[in-house]
Amino acid sequence: MAFKLKEEALKPERLTGGHRMCAGCGAPVVVRAVLRALKAEDQAVICSATGCLEVSTFMYPYTAWNDSFIHSAFENAGATISGAEAAYKAMKKKGKLPADQTIKFIAFGGDGGTYDIGLQSLSGAMERGHDMVYVCYDNGAYMNTGIQRSSATPRFADTTTSPAGSSVPGKQQQRKDLTAIMAAHHLPYVAQTAPLGSKHGGFKDLHEKAEKAIYTEGACFLNVLAPCPRGWRYDTPKLLEMTDIAVDTCVWPLYEIVDGKLTLSYIPKEKKPVEEYLKAQGRFRHVFKKGNEWMIEEIQKEVDRTWEDLLNRNETK
Amino acid sequence: MSEKVLMKGNEAIAEAAILAGCRYFFGYPITPQTEIAAYMAKKMPKIGGTFLQAESEVSAINMVYGAAGAGARVMTSSSSPGMSLKGEGISYIAGADLPCVIVNIVRGGPGLGGIQPAQSDYFQATKGGGHGDYHLLVLAPNSVQEMVSLTIDAFDLADKYRIPVMLLGDGTLGQMMEPVEFSNDNISHVYEKPWATVGTQKKRKHNIINTLYMSPEELEYTIIERQKKYNSIVQNEIRCETSYLEDAEYVLSAYGTSSRIVETAVHQLRKEGYKAGIIRPITLWPFPSHIYKKAAEHAKAFLSVEMSMGQMVEDIMLAVNGKAPVHFFGRTGGVIPTPAEIVSKVKDIAGGNASE
Repeated sequence: MAFKLKEEALKPERLTGGHRMCAGCGAPVVVRAVLRALKAEDQAVICSATGCLEVSTFMYPYTAWNDSFIHSAFENAGATISGAEAAYKAMKKKGKLPADQTIKFIAFGGDGGTYDIGLQSLSGAMERGHDMVYVCYDNGAYMNTGIQRSSATPRFADTTTSPAGSSVPGKQQQRKDLTAIMAAHHLPYVAQTAPLGSKHGGFKDLHEKAEKAIYTEGACFLNVLAPCPRGWRYDTPKLLEMTDIAVDTCVWPLYEIVDGKLTLSYIPKEKKPVEEYLKAQGRFRHVFKKGNEWMIEEIQKEVDRTWEDLLNRNETK
Repeated sequence: MSEKVLMKGNEAIAEAAILAGCRYFFGYPITPQTEIAAYMAKKMPKIGGTFLQAESEVSAINMVYGAAGAGARVMTSSSSPGMSLKGEGISYIAGADLPCVIVNIVRGGPGLGGIQPAQSDYFQATKGGGHGDYHLLVLAPNSVQEMVSLTIDAFDLADKYRIPVMLLGDGTLGQMMEPVEFSNDNISHVYEKPWATVGTQKKRKHNIINTLYMSPEELEYTIIERQKKYNSIVQNEIRCETSYLEDAEYVLSAYGTSSRIVETAVHQLRKEGYKAGIIRPITLWPFPSHIYKKAAEHAKAFLSVEMSMGQMVEDIMLAVNGKAPVHFFGRTGGVIPTPAEIVSKVKDIAGGNASE
């Protein structure tokens, strides 16, 4: 069925307004888009790792979630949702839950809670193959505690624990390729996506991938780019401009891996230079200073290398 | 004397650590202590030190384990939930007799709790937290200035006794700004570390850092040996501040942030004619039991004021040993007690209207 946002938007919201996420934040946009892919009649158990999303949407006794919601700690969203799913399966087998009732298990974590401290429990959950989806909303730093570098922070980005200055050029390491790590778990469905502007089909890519991830049996993983206006330093209305340019420069390639087969979801006719992505964000301001040209070259080189690699692995030419 | 600067408690700890010769810091973000890591991230590269943000608290404390084993002056910091994650590593460091400084800027718990200041990690800090027979030397500052002096002392004490030292603050002390002075007076000593695993140069036998013993007798021996060290710390390192204690009928006791509030309350009580005094432990372990014992000779009652449901009060009871009633007043979960509440509690005790 073709994706029509107008029709999808008629579904009741599962993450309602009134939560305390910042204006211009990508995370709640991602969550709403992922949850729109649920059939209206299906229920969900949502688990969130500690992070902006959790502290701002679930301020007990208030909640913005219309589905069941669990939060326990920072490092264990993968384990917590595994336990809930295992209990569901057992209860269903014993006939303690109605046979015609479908409950989906979806975990959300930021990059700190997913790439770093939560990687162990995520890997365990994925390897065991629980029927679940783990969604990483990747904003490239620990934004909740005030912008500290994570292993998802792009090289040279300025954060409070990778401060750009005369001694340190910002974050010194390349970001970890988490999507590839998840694919190495031989999952039935892994995808990288983002909420996008209308020229890239808007929410189509994200919606379709979320739908596949939710309704493919087994452990599935989505890595979703979710810009943060505080950490990236952009004007709040420019959220989708950020993701658009990330896709056009191939900084954030869109692809999916179905049973090991990789398909690029979008190949720009003309790959834009990485400067266009960098200049839109305050966290990269220093790379444009005289004498720092090498930083831009290094970033471009890494983007080119990753993109070439994906083009070579793309099985749907 | 150097000039006074206005600083946040967290930043002051970081600056003091650098002044004490700490060149290795391993951290992980958690509110309300992240400023320590951010300060270290900015400063360490400029002075040839190492700031490293780990991928979790578990990793950060084990990096401390490694650096301490190599003889470095090393520090990590966290707040309550993160300290729980560090528990395993802290037990190993204690079991390996390695020196390091661990900062806990406490917030409300248990579980995720809150991000507001609390003193509910007293048990965790003083009674273990990790597994096994061990102690941390626990220092409890009550001002930003004292965060500086105690951080510097913490490194010395750690090296002197080969023991992990904990600086136990809370969200108030970490976040509030006060004028501080960094004088060169109490700059710490350099300790020889012949036990450090830094390579033998083929000139000596291997140094071994280990916490595993297959023979129970051997393990027992190491624990008993370590106990001697603990006894010597109890003998020599207790720190405590008292005021109006000589004639005190009502002895109020508090550490850290709550001791500042107790001070205000005691001034008020004295004005109103109540003979109130203060015992403020600065070392929470070793605990200044003898001071309480002595005060019990003339005190009518004790009152422990804490930002918890009553943890230090148990140590006071042990020290007082039934010689006088020991009362408790606390606010918890991030709520801070007010002087008025404390004054009214003392009046209740004095009027015989408070149960222990």
